[in-house]
Amino acid sequence: MFLLLPFDSLVVNLLGISITVLFTLLLVFIIVPAIFGVSFGIRKVYMKTLLKIFQWATLRIERGAKEKNHPLYKPYVNGIIAKEPTSLEEEIKEIRRSGSGKSLDTPEFELSDIFYFCRKGIETIMDDEVTKRFSAEELESWNLLSRTNYNFQYISLRLTVLWGLGVLIRYCFLLPLRIALAFTGISLLVTGTTVVGYLPNGRCKMFLSKHVHLMCYRICVRALTAIITYHDRENRPRNGGICVANHTSPIDVIILASDGYYAMVGQIHGGLMGVIQRAMVKACPHVWFERSEVKDRHLVAKRLTEHVQDKSKLPILIFPEGTCINNTSVMMFKKGSFEIGATVYPVAIKYDPQFGDAFWNSSKYGMVTYLLRMMTSWAIVCSVWYLPPMTRQPEEDAVQFANRVKSAIARQGGLVDLLWDGGLKREKVKDTFKEEQQKLYSKMIVGNHEDRSRS
Amino acid sequence: MGSAHSVPAEMRELADRTGFTSEQIEHLHRRFKQLSQDQLTIRKENFDNIPDLEFNPIRGKIVHAFFDKRNLRQESDGLADEINFEDFLTIMSYFRPIEMNMDEEQLDRFRKEKLKFLFHMYDSDHDGKITLQEYRNVVEELLSGNPHLEKESARSIADGAMMEAASICVGQMGPDQVYEGITFDDFLKMWQGIDIETKMHVRFLNVDTIAHCY
Repeated sequence: MFLLLPFDSLVVNLLGISITVLFTLLLVFIIVPAIFGVSFGIRKVYMKTLLKIFQWATLRIERGAKEKNHPLYKPYVNGIIAKEPTSLEEEIKEIRRSGSGKSLDTPEFELSDIFYFCRKGIETIMDDEVTKRFSAEELESWNLLSRTNYNFQYISLRLTVLWGLGVLIRYCFLLPLRIALAFTGISLLVTGTTVVGYLPNGRCKMFLSKHVHLMCYRICVRALTAIITYHDRENRPRNGGICVANHTSPIDVIILASDGYYAMVGQIHGGLMGVIQRAMVKACPHVWFERSEVKDRHLVAKRLTEHVQDKSKLPILIFPEGTCINNTSVMMFKKGSFEIGATVYPVAIKYDPQFGDAFWNSSKYGMVTYLLRMMTSWAIVCSVWYLPPMTRQPEEDAVQFANRVKSAIARQGGLVDLLWDGGLKREKVKDTFKEEQQKLYSKMIVGNHEDRSRS
Repeated sequence: MGSAHSVPAEMRELADRTGFTSEQIEHLHRRFKQLSQDQLTIRKENFDNIPDLEFNPIRGKIVHAFFDKRNLRQESDGLADEINFEDFLTIMSYFRPIEMNMDEEQLDRFRKEKLKFLFHMYDSDHDGKITLQEYRNVVEELLSGNPHLEKESARSIADGAMMEAASICVGQMGPDQVYEGITFDDFLKMWQGIDIETKMHVRFLNVDTIAHCY
């Protein structure tokens, strides 16, 4: 046992030295640049290397599959049904024309009309637009994460070794590093904002609080290894405006807030989130609601309006979809934020799924599981576009304005613009929608006039 | 990591029986799993999760058709409580498009099957006849959303259509004759000469795999 002692202390010393070195490196290369907002470009190099490796891996898979004669993963296809954009009227006319050949002016009911509804019904059972949006996008090439490839099988030894190495790096090296950074970032945020909160209100306080917030968000960005490209930064939101963006995951907040100063809006949570929220509001005015207040739309609208009208307060950050969508489309925007009457600054966020799927399927994963998944991905690469500000025109109402903003965001981000309500992930369709089809069909049969002769 | 990928024997058998390609069967299987939430069978409640289906006025009849034992080619009658993937495919196969290489007899059988499916949809009490009341039910369901339409109008539309059907099937009726209902043969007679096969099928996209290795 005594023989072990010198080795023991040697091991302990080595461990101590390596930890110190690690932390110094961390400080120099990550935290200090975060404080000053500069970047060494390490992450960009990392991204390029990863891309090269992925390309190699995909080639290997394709070659391996060819040798072994399997079919490969399919190209990203929009479902299996060839949906043509014809309307109900056209389709029914078509059916009748090929049917009894009766004149199309007589509004009669035909047995064949049921074909149209029957077929439409079966087609939606086979494949439907909306539920597809709510599961993660399927990839065309493989990024060495087995969670994203449904077809992953054993292809070759080299590939498996590479995958194993990837797992090792991600879980044993990157994960602890990221957790340490996240921890640092969050604790700095809480202490920093609490300290700033003690200062008297004034320009000094505002300056300091902005910088504390920015610094901590930047550290969190590095904690996730998020490589973000900002476009059109001259359109960044200003005081007294509302910033509106599409929502894919809770990380959106960190991404946007690390490049600008925003006032957050949201519900007060318990636990760690609650602590962070209470600390943040000491340094500068955010808009937090109690759970009971959230249901009261007028109260919400009133507080938001008050905040927006005070020009000294920061722009509000809102995600009008109300829930996380899988980043291939933009769903219906809730009209509440568009009724307030302030200038709206739309922002489009698009994640690159090659490096890690950022979509948060809240019915499948909890927050902690989700964050762990994020931290064990390679990186999160995304692009942010700041679109020029929009205001509500006198002749449009809130819903039309919301749709206009939504289309602009969808167009910029290359996302599909859907009319569906994001809340459908959890609830059912409102009855008014159901009746629309029935009304349309019956108008065709009976017409809007009362004076038709009946047999 | 899974085992080597080969088309399982059951898949091939399913493909032969229902006429879908293995591509389509795979996709439908994924859809089945999504609808059933990873269970082996689907019940009526699972169809409530499809938002687009809510739009459809005859939604009830379509879902009902999935559980109708006559459509599932089972000897017994009545309604099943739950269906498995094979039954799901059987119902979907009624909506297969026509293939180029079908001969006359196959085409005729195909057509009869599709019409039979439709007949079962109308004939809700399973007695082999579409009565006036059943016909009225269908018309009312299709037209119920229109607030300007009173129940009376829907009924008279149905009555008129029924009289026309009677005249095709039975010819001139005496004043005391009562038309019982449309039997399946009458139903076929009504559709004679009318090309329905092209209207009652699902339009599949062609999905090709990246590497064709044959």
